Amino acid sequence: MISHLFKLIWNKKKQNFLLITEMFVSFLVMFAVFTMIVRAYNNYRHPLGFEYDDVWVASYMTPENIQSDDSAALFQDVLRKQLQSFPQVVEAGFSGHNFPFAMTMSNSMVSSDQNEGVMTNFYNADDNYLKVLNAKMLSGRWFSKADDVSKSPVVVINRKLQEELFEGKNAIGKYIEYGGDRLKVIGVMENMKDKGTYTPVENGLFKRIDAGAAKWTSNILIKVKPGADAVFEGKLFKALSNTIGTSVEIEHMDKKLTRQNKLSLIPMIIMLVVGGFLIINVALGLFGVLWYNINKRRSEIGLRRAVGASGNSVSKQLVGESLVLSTLALLIGLFFAIQFPLLKVFDLPASVYLVAIALSVAFIYILVFLCALYPGRQAAAIYPAVALHEE
Amino acid sequence: MIQLKQIEKSYRTDTIETLALNRINLSVFQGEFLSIMGPSGCGKSTLLNIMGLLDAPTKGEVLIDGRLTTHLSDKQLAHFRNQTIGFIFQSFHLINDLRVLDNVELPLLYRKVSASERVQLAKEALTKVGLSNRMKHFPSQLSGGQKQRVAIARAIVGRPQIILADEPTGNLDSAMGNEIMDLLLHLNATEGTTIVMVTHDETMAKKTHRLVRLFDGAQVNDHTLKQVYA
Ligand SMILES: Nc1ncnc2c1ncn2[C@@H]1O[C@H](COP(=O)(O)OP(=O)(O)OP(=O)(O)O)[C@@H](O)[C@H]1O
Ligand SMILES: [Mg+2]
Repeated sequence: MISHLFKLIWNKKKQNFLLITEMFVSFLVMFAVFTMIVRAYNNYRHPLGFEYDDVWVASYMTPENIQSDDSAALFQDVLRKQLQSFPQVVEAGFSGHNFPFAMTMSNSMVSSDQNEGVMTNFYNADDNYLKVLNAKMLSGRWFSKADDVSKSPVVVINRKLQEELFEGKNAIGKYIEYGGDRLKVIGVMENMKDKGTYTPVENGLFKRIDAGAAKWTSNILIKVKPGADAVFEGKLFKALSNTIGTSVEIEHMDKKLTRQNKLSLIPMIIMLVVGGFLIINVALGLFGVLWYNINKRRSEIGLRRAVGASGNSVSKQLVGESLVLSTLALLIGLFFAIQFPLLKVFDLPASVYLVAIALSVAFIYILVFLCALYPGRQAAAIYPAVALHEE
Repeated sequence: MIQLKQIEKSYRTDTIETLALNRINLSVFQGEFLSIMGPSGCGKSTLLNIMGLLDAPTKGEVLIDGRLTTHLSDKQLAHFRNQTIGFIFQSFHLINDLRVLDNVELPLLYRKVSASERVQLAKEALTKVGLSNRMKHFPSQLSGGQKQRVAIARAIVGRPQIILADEPTGNLDSAMGNEIMDLLLHLNATEGTTIVMVTHDETMAKKTHRLVRLFDGAQVNDHTLKQVYA
């Protein structure tokens, strides 16, 4: 029977070409849709890499009277000590304006001896930053007092940047070139999804807030104890306002995350709607073509029934033919789809493409099966005499 | 061989009910060559389809080889058709996308026959109808008479006991028609195949053993032309 199917398919290659093309295009469309979905799901599934519960952010303007670098550093010390003196405060640390879930970013190109021109996010952080966010080190260490006296500027990079700049080999002690500076890597930390639940992991490079940077860093991340309430927040606000003298704003990181996620969900919802339409389109298109093809063959079906095919074996044959055709279309589709991970088109891991390929193959098979089964069943259910009559 | 008992067939469309066959009682005997005649629309094709189990009667019973066929499942009916009946149609009903040889093999595809045996049997059948040199052609490359000979080869390839032919010469000129008729007569005489043939051609009908005339769905005449010598 199989060889009979192939003969039939081969002899009808002209008509089947159209069907195979339709299936092939459908596969590519589904591959694109699934790639986006798998990528979004991968992003979503990736752990945040830090804790944002009970982390508050106090932002202020550095007072005018603080002019020198040293006095700025001193001022930060005063604020840190003041915050640490509250029993409700677990830890407090300074960050640049692009702290987690803030809607600002700063990025630049960096290079290493192995690799040049990698775009990375730049973060400014003090010695307490890691502890406040409960982020994890992979190797090396986070910043400490000892770095006050280091000869070259020191940085901590994230796992992703280590992969991109140093091919995943241990980067500790190696140097990163940035605008003529050589930055020494002293630590590698776990990736942080600092732009929300649904965003991809990006390259990250952390610079220590030294005296020179203190004047420009005026965001304090404050980890409070679970019970800390609005009353305490009021108290904290008053104390900070007194010390700083300019306006202070306190925000909660969990609320910022919610807002951030809402924003990043909008494009994803649009994408899902578009993807949904494409899926429906593909389904209807395939159904239409298969329906038409099978209905054109009613007299053939009648004849097969007359010479001894049961309704069941006719519908099996029609489904079988469609599945053979879709296999051919999928083989062509696979050839193109596999180029994406092979040629590294777009900056996506190969696993995303492979999962998307598997999903699209399964989707097309199931769709073709269902789209052929229904008209096939219908055609097989009519009396052979009736099917033969229509010529 | 085939027994029809009180067969009625009506077609119901939206507005009207057509009685295509009205209480037909007919027996076809083993080895007989029976012809059916009647004006257009009198129910000849309907009768043949019911004999061939391609269609179910509205009322009445069809017995083949003494076996009642009323309660057979779709699968059993298909098996029955495959084993015992060969069909020949006025419009040939060849599958245009299959070569002649593959068309002839078709009934064997629904039996447990090996591929090489299928080819062997199909070639033999094509030789019998004188088309052994056209096996690799597609139906569209054949004349009407050749197409009908392919259809005959397909009907006989599985060695059925019965052949049902619905105006097998209806689409052919008289020379080709005679060739086809000779083939059927030869088949009946040498292999003893029972043949029921619907025809509009009086001279063709005269060459058969028995002639049944239908009019408006009813049997009006049953006329034995020759004795069947077993
Ligand atoms: N599927 C159908 N639905 C409705 N009516 C039908 C159907 N098939 C046949 N008929 C009707 O049944 C009657 C008998 O039709 P049938 O085809 O058996 O005639 P016939 O004797 O073979 O005619 P012809 O010599 O033209 O082939 C006709 O009146 C026809 O209109
Ligand atoms: Mg007819």
